[in-house]
Amino acid sequence: MREYNIVITGVGGQGILTAANLLGWAALHAGHKVRVGEVHGMSQRFGSVIAYVRFGENVYGAMVPEGKADVILSFEPVEALRYINYLKKGGLVFTNARPIPPVQVSMGLATYPTLDEMKKIVEEDFGGKFMAFDAEKLALEAGNIVTTNVVLIGALSQTPGFPLSEEEIKEVIRISVPPKTIDVNMKAFELGVKAAKEMLRL
Amino acid sequence: MAKVTDIVLWDKPGEKVLLLGNHAIARGALEANIAVYAAYPGTPSSELTDTMAAVAEKAGVYMEYSTNEKVAFETALSAAWSGLRAMTAMKHVGLNVAADTFMSAVGMGVEGGFVIMVADDPSMWSSQNEQDTRVYGKFANVPVLEPSDPHEAKEMVKYAFDLSEKFKHFVILRTTTRSSHARGDVVLGELPEDIKQARRKFGKFKKDPTRFVDIPAHSRRFHPQILEKIEKIREELNNCPFNWIEGKEDAKVGIIAPGLSYAYVKEALAWLGVDDVKVLKLGTPFPVPYGLLEKFMDGLEKVLIVEELEPVVEEQVKTWAYDKGLRIPIHGKDLVPRVYEMTTRRAVTAIAKFLGIGTPINFAEIDEKYEKVSRIVPPRPPSLCPACPHRNSFFAIRKAAGPKAIFPSDIGCYTLGVLPPLKTVDTTVAMGASIGVAHGLSIATNGSLAEKEHKSGKEKQIIVATIGDSTFYHTGLPALANAIYNRSNVLIVVLDNLVTAMTGDQPNPGTGQTPHGMGRRIPIEDVAKAMGADFVAVVDPYDIKATYETVKKALQVEGVSVVVSRQVCALYKIGQMRRRGEKWPIYHVIEDKCTGCKICINAYGCPAIYWDSETKKAKVDPSMCWGCGGCVQVCPFDAFEPMKEEGE
Repeated sequence: MREYNIVITGVGGQGILTAANLLGWAALHAGHKVRVGEVHGMSQRFGSVIAYVRFGENVYGAMVPEGKADVILSFEPVEALRYINYLKKGGLVFTNARPIPPVQVSMGLATYPTLDEMKKIVEEDFGGKFMAFDAEKLALEAGNIVTTNVVLIGALSQTPGFPLSEEEIKEVIRISVPPKTIDVNMKAFELGVKAAKEMLRL
Repeated sequence: MAKVTDIVLWDKPGEKVLLLGNHAIARGALEANIAVYAAYPGTPSSELTDTMAAVAEKAGVYMEYSTNEKVAFETALSAAWSGLRAMTAMKHVGLNVAADTFMSAVGMGVEGGFVIMVADDPSMWSSQNEQDTRVYGKFANVPVLEPSDPHEAKEMVKYAFDLSEKFKHFVILRTTTRSSHARGDVVLGELPEDIKQARRKFGKFKKDPTRFVDIPAHSRRFHPQILEKIEKIREELNNCPFNWIEGKEDAKVGIIAPGLSYAYVKEALAWLGVDDVKVLKLGTPFPVPYGLLEKFMDGLEKVLIVEELEPVVEEQVKTWAYDKGLRIPIHGKDLVPRVYEMTTRRAVTAIAKFLGIGTPINFAEIDEKYEKVSRIVPPRPPSLCPACPHRNSFFAIRKAAGPKAIFPSDIGCYTLGVLPPLKTVDTTVAMGASIGVAHGLSIATNGSLAEKEHKSGKEKQIIVATIGDSTFYHTGLPALANAIYNRSNVLIVVLDNLVTAMTGDQPNPGTGQTPHGMGRRIPIEDVAKAMGADFVAVVDPYDIKATYETVKKALQVEGVSVVVSRQVCALYKIGQMRRRGEKWPIYHVIEDKCTGCKICINAYGCPAIYWDSETKKAKVDPSMCWGCGGCVQVCPFDAFEPMKEEGE
């Protein structure tokens, strides 16, 4: 495979770097050459965060080039829009539907776009697909809100053309999370899979 | 996916693992049989130091978190003088702090290998400037190695130690954010027996004052020796395994790609579908090996140098070409931007222009569409965490000192106090500069208390400096001594959260413990008292009223006042509680009591509190509340209370 590019976005503290690392290991186990790009330090503190996961023969740098992301996996809706310039034509935006309004919005200095506005921009201007679902709700259903990232990864695994198998990802999650939390994480993964299957049928 | 610290110690040569650039460098240092490691944390270098801290004891390596980069440098340097392999690491601005020793000691050389890892931050993701360490290398005549991926970074460490020992010279390993914080597949090598058996290595220092005492008579010998060494190293690097020529041998056009830019050039060429070029991959941007360059340039009709930031390679290549009488076009910074980080897009655009071809996708079109989007996307800058004690300190300081006060601040998480609604940071320059700037501003506006004419009482300009605990020990100490000695009229609030939070919770003298166990804690208030501050107090910022009153009282005092605002970092504390499975109270808004005054949002600014535009009331996001209860103290209408159910 030449290359597969994932952009992961959200708000600092949501487990974005953990998700990127999990996907990176899954790709490594599947035998691919892997690059994961992250930003650490102060820029993480509840600010906007972007991480890149890339694998394939033609992958050298750690950043996905603009216009080349197969998928934008977003932990917070507006953060998907912030990095929409990375999406390739025909690419997919998969986002958690629950907004975290930035302080500027609460202070009345900025407004927060609606999901419908976002969908319109992604589909009409960038030629991509936009899908939003409440991953946090599913994480709570699985037993812990901290597993929101695993719900999203489960959903990602069902997207058309996604090159890693469910089992490859689940195996990495199993050996990575604290043993006590394996069941909760597996359930979160399955709920993500189920949600994606339903959405993608539409 | 095992724990990183386990992977770094794995005795599994040939195993392929996914490692962060910084983790790979730590592994490289172990494979190179390092003996001493000393550093001060700084993004994007910190994970290297943290990894060394985590594995040091199991690998028989002495490791310390030093109080600043200069002393870290001196610690490692002395070990290298004693014949041991030693390493220090810092971010680019850290080298400025160490520069005094670095520039003076380079002529003395080393006995054991000495590697200085410097992590640059192009585009300034977490930094106050964008400097190119390769320029320092050139300035000091120290070779600079620059990896293009994590595996190469690991291999380069070993080569760097060998090179350093062979020439008894310093070697810089330069990374950037995108190599330090990139994960990639790394193949583990052999670990030496010393490391496997945790054998602590001790060195021997051989006295030689003509070498280690830099009085002018001795130093005068150094400079010509350094110049001689660097030219010998330039020769040596013709055979460096990280430099090579690839691509079509008889191509008429060539691209020179140092360090990480090689990765972007490779992707760009594939994306453009261009293969009629010759590429010089350079792992050593300084000094450029002229023998290899000559071989590369043979038969070329034009050349492009794709490098990030300063034209370090470009200047060397152009100088060489001019001296050789080579009259072909050599492009560089005319096509490649000199600011911010390199990207594949930048490489594609520069190469396309250089070759006179089109780009594979229309970037301008993406920009145009994105411009429209960026207008409707609300900004989300980083902010102080929920329950961050600094928020309370700033809130109390601002209230007590009033809007006319000047607030010099420093480098750390608390620099985020610059943002609305807190806005309690008026200047930030460099580590420790808050106290120096506060003193200078006081001298300029109030005069010194030692002068006959000076302003005091109600006339004085109120100046409140804020500085973190680690920064205080780093370079705040000499500045505090200076302010007290020269009698300025300032209040210094030390925001003591007991860890170096911004770079990942590293310990410092205020924490006390070291990676080896308990060190000795140095309480900030004891230092301030010993130095002769006119007023010293310790407060808990979770008690906002008490903090406000103490600041108010300190402002009445003429002279240098020091208030230590002490409460453990919330991010650190919550992390510990999560690990132990403990719970914390979650607050919520009693809707009937909330009048919609927005003080909690417009003056306090906790990220867990948001405005519900439908009900016109404040709300708490339970997934973000870390239970400090600051909102209860800030709300004039008692609208916040803990919920029955607790977090985590």
